Amino acid sequence: MKLGIDIGGTFTDFVLFDDRSNQLYFAKTLTTYPDPTVGIFNGVKELEEKFGFPVKEMSGIVHGTTLVTNAVIERKGAKTAFITTKGFEDVLEIGREMRYDIYDIFLTMPKPLVPRNLRMGVSERVDIQGNVVTPLDESALQSLTTTLQENGIEAVGICLLNSFANTAHEKTVGEYLSAHAPNMYYSLSSEIMPEIREYERSSATAMNAYVQPITDKYLKDFETQLRVAGFEGNINIMISSGKLTTIDGARKSPIHLLESGPAGGAMAGVFYGKHLQEENLLCFDMGGTTAKACVIYEGEPEITNHFEAGRVKRFKKGSGLPVRIPVIDLIEIGAGGGSIARVNTIGLLTVGPDSASSTPGPACYNLGGEDPTVTDADLVLGYLNADYFLGGEMKLNVAAARTAIETKLAKPLGISIEDAAMGIHKIVNENMANAARVHVLEKGMDPRHFNMIGFGGAGPVHAFGVAKLLNTKRLIIPVGAGVTSALGFLVSPVASEKIHSHISELRALNWEETNAFLRDMENDGYQFLAQSGIQKKDATVQRVVEMRYYGQGHEITIELPEGPLDAETIPEIEKRFIKEYEFRYNRAIEGMQMEMVTWRVVVQGPVPEMEVKQFSTTGSDAQAYKGTRKVFFEETGYLDCPVYDRYALKPDERFDGPAIIEETESTTVIGINSTVQVDKDKNILIDLQY
Amino acid sequence: MQQTATTFDPIALSILWSRLISIVDEAGTTLQRTSFSTVTRESNDFAVVLMDRKGRSIAQSSVSVPSFLGVLPILTKALLKDYFPLETWKEGDVVMTNDPWLCAGHKPDIGIVSPIFFEEKLIGFIGTIAHSPDMGGQLWGAGTRDVYEEGLMVPPTKLLSEGKPNETLFNILMHNVRAADQTVGDIRAQVAANDQGIKSLLKLMEENNLDDLQELADAVINASEKAMREALLAAPDGSYQYSYDTDGDGLGTGCHFEITITIKGDEIVADYTGTSGAHYMSINAVLNYTFAYTAYPIKCAFSPDVPNNDGSFYPITVTAPEGCLVNAQKPSPLGARNVTGNMLHSVVFGALAKAVPNQVQADCGSACWCIVLNGEHKGKEFVEYFFLNGGYGARPNMDGEHVLSFPTNVANVPIEVLETDVAVMVTEKSLLPNSAGEGEFRGGLGQRFSFKNIGEKPINVSMISEKTQTVAKGILEGGDGQMGSVQILPERKFPPKGLDKLFPGEELILTLPGGAGYGNPADRDKEAIATDRILGYIS
Repeated sequence: MKLGIDIGGTFTDFVLFDDRSNQLYFAKTLTTYPDPTVGIFNGVKELEEKFGFPVKEMSGIVHGTTLVTNAVIERKGAKTAFITTKGFEDVLEIGREMRYDIYDIFLTMPKPLVPRNLRMGVSERVDIQGNVVTPLDESALQSLTTTLQENGIEAVGICLLNSFANTAHEKTVGEYLSAHAPNMYYSLSSEIMPEIREYERSSATAMNAYVQPITDKYLKDFETQLRVAGFEGNINIMISSGKLTTIDGARKSPIHLLESGPAGGAMAGVFYGKHLQEENLLCFDMGGTTAKACVIYEGEPEITNHFEAGRVKRFKKGSGLPVRIPVIDLIEIGAGGGSIARVNTIGLLTVGPDSASSTPGPACYNLGGEDPTVTDADLVLGYLNADYFLGGEMKLNVAAARTAIETKLAKPLGISIEDAAMGIHKIVNENMANAARVHVLEKGMDPRHFNMIGFGGAGPVHAFGVAKLLNTKRLIIPVGAGVTSALGFLVSPVASEKIHSHISELRALNWEETNAFLRDMENDGYQFLAQSGIQKKDATVQRVVEMRYYGQGHEITIELPEGPLDAETIPEIEKRFIKEYEFRYNRAIEGMQMEMVTWRVVVQGPVPEMEVKQFSTTGSDAQAYKGTRKVFFEETGYLDCPVYDRYALKPDERFDGPAIIEETESTTVIGINSTVQVDKDKNILIDLQY
Repeated sequence: MQQTATTFDPIALSILWSRLISIVDEAGTTLQRTSFSTVTRESNDFAVVLMDRKGRSIAQSSVSVPSFLGVLPILTKALLKDYFPLETWKEGDVVMTNDPWLCAGHKPDIGIVSPIFFEEKLIGFIGTIAHSPDMGGQLWGAGTRDVYEEGLMVPPTKLLSEGKPNETLFNILMHNVRAADQTVGDIRAQVAANDQGIKSLLKLMEENNLDDLQELADAVINASEKAMREALLAAPDGSYQYSYDTDGDGLGTGCHFEITITIKGDEIVADYTGTSGAHYMSINAVLNYTFAYTAYPIKCAFSPDVPNNDGSFYPITVTAPEGCLVNAQKPSPLGARNVTGNMLHSVVFGALAKAVPNQVQADCGSACWCIVLNGEHKGKEFVEYFFLNGGYGARPNMDGEHVLSFPTNVANVPIEVLETDVAVMVTEKSLLPNSAGEGEFRGGLGQRFSFKNIGEKPINVSMISEKTQTVAKGILEGGDGQMGSVQILPERKFPPKGLDKLFPGEELILTLPGGAGYGNPADRDKEAIATDRILGYIS
């Protein structure tokens, strides 16, 4: 038995897979503050009471949490210092000198995680090839350590210039600290992100140090409590690349946990895709404040190394702190149930990106919110059931929603309440479809070639509209749409990823040196897997290089041929590069030299097989058809729309759209010109006609 | 003008408008990803603009630097009027030019315009401008004596006719520029970006059953125009003057700016009468460029949120006497006209501070410094551009940011990348304490950046610095920022603008100016002062 636990901002989700009966079980509890382990054990208790599965019988637990992300966003990390090459203490604050908004003269840049008075320089210098130009002044380390201690520093980020080419000085500083200030945490850039570009490397290193003490304490508590409860299995932690690491791995590099939740969602998409035999899928996940889209191509999500945390303006690229870690490539946009609709300065209706969040929330929550939101529109249009929101736990106020839409939008625009509500619904769908389209196009793919899978609280309400805009043929609303991240945790492989910067023209590579570092990276990976009990023979190795035409500044990722590399493999590497380049940018450039920049070796354990026989749901023998209610569709206006109970749907049941399917965590809205089919696992498959 | 309100409702227009912007942004992303020019890819020195068949802009890529504001429509209108009348365009045609007076004010900026045909009817144009790696002539910088030294000039010429490449033109380009593969590669990337934009636009037309672009163009242009006019209407009528001095050559021959901004009803006129004449160094701006950098701060002050298109600029008029620094005529040298363009925000905000003090910022430590290094490294010739920015000006309600690009938006080149490409070692990059202007809100700090030639050969340096003799001026009693300096060790004379060499072992020390303050320093919050002390921003 394996358990996935995902701590989100509001809820902690549980997915349990029983490999004896091949059944899945779900649970949800409120996230608890300040100690989230309380919520975890509430859920663990619920699983035992409801289904009879005690935690001590479980063979493995996979965990993901928003802890790290929130610490960065809310600036609640440790008191952190930063050590760098003397003369470069301000690199962390200066950043790239570029604004993220062209017209806003009132913009603010993100403040560095370590303030200027806690950034210290050491006398040392290594050149770009890794040669020591100025030896490290070790005599200064003692007074430096004293200063750190006097300032009550809990964690230190250490990033020296060109340390990706020679790690010796960073290591010496780290070793000194661990010997003389053993309680202080430290992060070395040459371990966290051994890549060229000092600001980005500094930023990742400082952030790692900043979140390390709280993550370390939390994970220790988590592990201890599980062991006390009698759990003896493996504990793995979900990381941003859709892979699993060990508790030790997570404690060492907590920044890899930044996107663990969204990565879990994408991996759930991979799982459903495999289960439903859909190799290419667009995952669409919409919650209260954001929507995310992620491409699964040939059964794999794409990994990117560009990521930002703690944005000053949440959805504005460039307004955050860069962290070049491998992250599943997904786009996030400010469109969720709570997104606020407004009439802008030029008299147009706009939606988001700001959100009414959970307090005061949409007007229909009756918690004091006066701004019309997407949820208010969905309620007015009849998509949501005022009496069955969160399974009836929360009563929605239709009148309040109508008033908010009328006073803030319909009247100023001179249109009806329904037209304004439909406008909100359409615009938010359009925003999401636009973002998804650009995201797919940027990968050189055609969005029409993808079927879509929709989840998240608001996902099933809007997925149909978004799918229509993207000309999607089939839309899938899976069972367990409310706990997808935790499900994804259970189907992700344990893996190690090693990074090495070595810039050289392809034709000028020193093959002996190249093969040696690739081999070392691979061996490190096997050692890491051994800690989770995975043997070398079960591991798969992926070796990729980020390369570009000589003189360009953006790289693309190419998989290297297997085995040792030499001059003979050049044509094959060139061929792969050209193929990928043409795929992305339509045409290659003849006769240009190619350059290798960053090398990555991923050594991965097997992807956990999960032959799900049945998705357990609180089943019901009742009729799925609950009657009709008035629902507004763009093409028809209000009509009497059939409403179904998701839990009572029978395998192979079929009906035509329009239809509404209700379940506790969400509502599936199905428009006209479509057919609905329930598969044997009660996934809802919707075929759209155009 | 009125038909728009009835043709597109506020919902349909909102949706179509964001689609238009996403089309040009998408094309821009492709251009950036595939370009060789550092300036294009690292510094967003490009623009993609969608235009109607009159050459009016409908949507411009949102990250583009201000220097291209309004330029492509001016170019396209000129192409239609003087070079290629509307009826002569064929599907698959592509026109190229880098004529500074038609385009963006200096030869490295190449404009590429393609017609858009829908069901065999010409419905509009799409254009890109990007900074090319090289156009021949002298190494890019401020040191040319006339426009002819600045390399090849291609008057508006068909680069492709009905899809067929103009081999003669490609051949001329290949033989006249450094790093020819890269320059031609970038031109092709611009053509491809246009093609991608066309493809996306046609899809939008089909999906929305549009058979023409005109109504949609009118609707968005009118909406942007209306927003700008309403904001201007809210500002007090009057004439506002400001004068300002800049370094010029940095050796005593400076430049003087005079501006009179007149706001009357919903129109604004900026006139540069009284500004000094064309300079002997290549820092002269053509009127297109002056318009862009004058309209930009006006847009920031009055209508920052509304997507820009032709309509945003109808209420703005910019005039300058022919032949002066900001309306240069042939054969004035133009290469480093960005120095002059980058200063116009200071003049515009200085004047506007008297009309709308809460909508402007204090002067920045601009212009952005541009340094080009050229030489040989590891047996290969290199031409490396890099950029450094001074402090940002204070705002009416907050301090200026340290070391931030304005009004252009140029990222620095990472130290480790610079050291990879060129035989230099960087010896310092740090904030410069006490360099910001005081004020109720202080300016942002400038920086120090130093590097040494560690190779065996001299490196050619083309230097464009600014504010080594002048300062960022505070507004509304705010203090001035500290001026910058260019020094070399061992000490000798090194020109603040123009060409010189950095010999092996020599170290160049560049100190960039701080941003200016806003409001009376006596009104500054005591806690803010204490924080600045703790952080060492002031001593």
